[in-house]
Amino acid sequence: MTRSRVSLLAPVALLLFAFPPPASAMHISEGILPAPWAALWFVLSVPFLIWGLHDLRVRSEREPMFKSLVGLVGAAVFVISCMPIPVPTAGTCSHPCATGMAAILIGPALTVVITSIALLLQALFLAHGGLTTLGADIVSMGVAGAFAGYGVFRLATTLGVSRWPAAFLAGLLSDWATYAITSFELASALHGNASLGQTFLAIAVAFCPTQIPLGILEGIVTAAACRFIEKRRPGLIASLNQPHGGVA
Amino acid sequence: MFSLFSDFFACRDNRFSRIDPRVKLVVATTAIICVILSTSVALPVAVFLLSVVTTLALRIPVRLVALRLAAPLGIVAVLALLQSFTSGSTPLWSVPLGAWTLTATREGVHAAALTASRVCGAVSVVLLLSLVTPAHRIFHALRWFHVPQGWVEIAMLMYRYTFTLLDLTADLTAAQQLRMGYAGAGRALSSMGAVCGTVIIRSVDQAIRTHEAMVLRGYRQQIPFGPMPPLVAQDCCVTGLAVVALLLLYAAVGRAA
Repeated sequence: MTRSRVSLLAPVALLLFAFPPPASAMHISEGILPAPWAALWFVLSVPFLIWGLHDLRVRSEREPMFKSLVGLVGAAVFVISCMPIPVPTAGTCSHPCATGMAAILIGPALTVVITSIALLLQALFLAHGGLTTLGADIVSMGVAGAFAGYGVFRLATTLGVSRWPAAFLAGLLSDWATYAITSFELASALHGNASLGQTFLAIAVAFCPTQIPLGILEGIVTAAACRFIEKRRPGLIASLNQPHGGVA
Repeated sequence: MFSLFSDFFACRDNRFSRIDPRVKLVVATTAIICVILSTSVALPVAVFLLSVVTTLALRIPVRLVALRLAAPLGIVAVLALLQSFTSGSTPLWSVPLGAWTLTATREGVHAAALTASRVCGAVSVVLLLSLVTPAHRIFHALRWFHVPQGWVEIAMLMYRYTFTLLDLTADLTAAQQLRMGYAGAGRALSSMGAVCGTVIIRSVDQAIRTHEAMVLRGYRQQIPFGPMPPLVAQDCCVTGLAVVALLLLYAAVGRAA
């Protein structure tokens, strides 16, 4: 990376910072990734999907209504992910990823499965994301978002943090993890003759004004939702996430 | 959101909706692959124009088409700016920006135009596919292509109950708005949390009712999909002709000189 290239990237990033794109742009659109990159991300997403489907089969054998439960909770999470959140810095409404919330409810492996379905539906009916970019979107939203959210939730609750601050951290980090991995996916495919690191930085900076506040807002909404469920239906979250998949 | 997400138009009877969904999936996938492999803007632009003209000829409202196409354009704008100004070496024009001068390059602008045309071409194909094929037929075709049973079952349940839960969310939000639930940022976030929590609790209750109803109708841990009608000669001809036409188009104009 030459000095002139760095000095070129700075004003472009600033320009994009001044006119932030919508958060729906964090789904990689159809046609953006070149074919080899689209194939690579798809291959990387397959083991996680197999893991999720195996988890579904095992838990369905133990609890017959588990498939209905996953389908309905998946629909609920999908609806929540469509809810508009006003982002003050962007001056527009964006929508949460909701993968942190899904991971808290049904675990990260099943979250990958419902995320893949949600992404397919969004690609087909909302033109958010795409069919060839499905693998990349599953890796960023499903895998990175779900595992980051679930990991921090489990770590925080193990360390004695109460459930709703842990849910806040899960919502926050799942959103930011998704955003970081999407930026990396875009940079790795499109950096051309610029350096990968600088292109990643420029894309990441471009999305900062939307994603940083959106992550915080998603954390607050996730915490508020978990707190509400704990008040109205104590034990529901814990029972949903048990290996036998029962309902309190 | 309801009208944007609904497959209402896909359920209308027309020449395209009558085509077998497996044929449409194969042709759409081939078209998208040709578009993303294309190194010239001509093929993606041709596919985009063909798809949009077909969509409008099917009397799909322009507003719906514009709304669905608007979503991917955000990321295209960002990437076009980045590619125009950060890659390539042959200067085209400069824009002074404070202490810096931004210089767009010929190679960068070409890369940005190619990316934008690929996005428009590929998105328009998916748009056309979704506007002439109902969701349940897509899922049925995916099962025929051996997509795992569990995945397709969850997808069908999710799609079916998304509309019920969207209605519930709209009712709850309207009720909260009437009671000043969104007066101020703190209150708005608390109200949103309450809506999310209620939607999740209702979804769990609905899952119990749905499972009981499915068991009463003979559900035994698998939704029976039944066989799809056999592909007739006309379907095979349409698939073959469309795929060959796309490959010829790709060979003719898809590769830059």
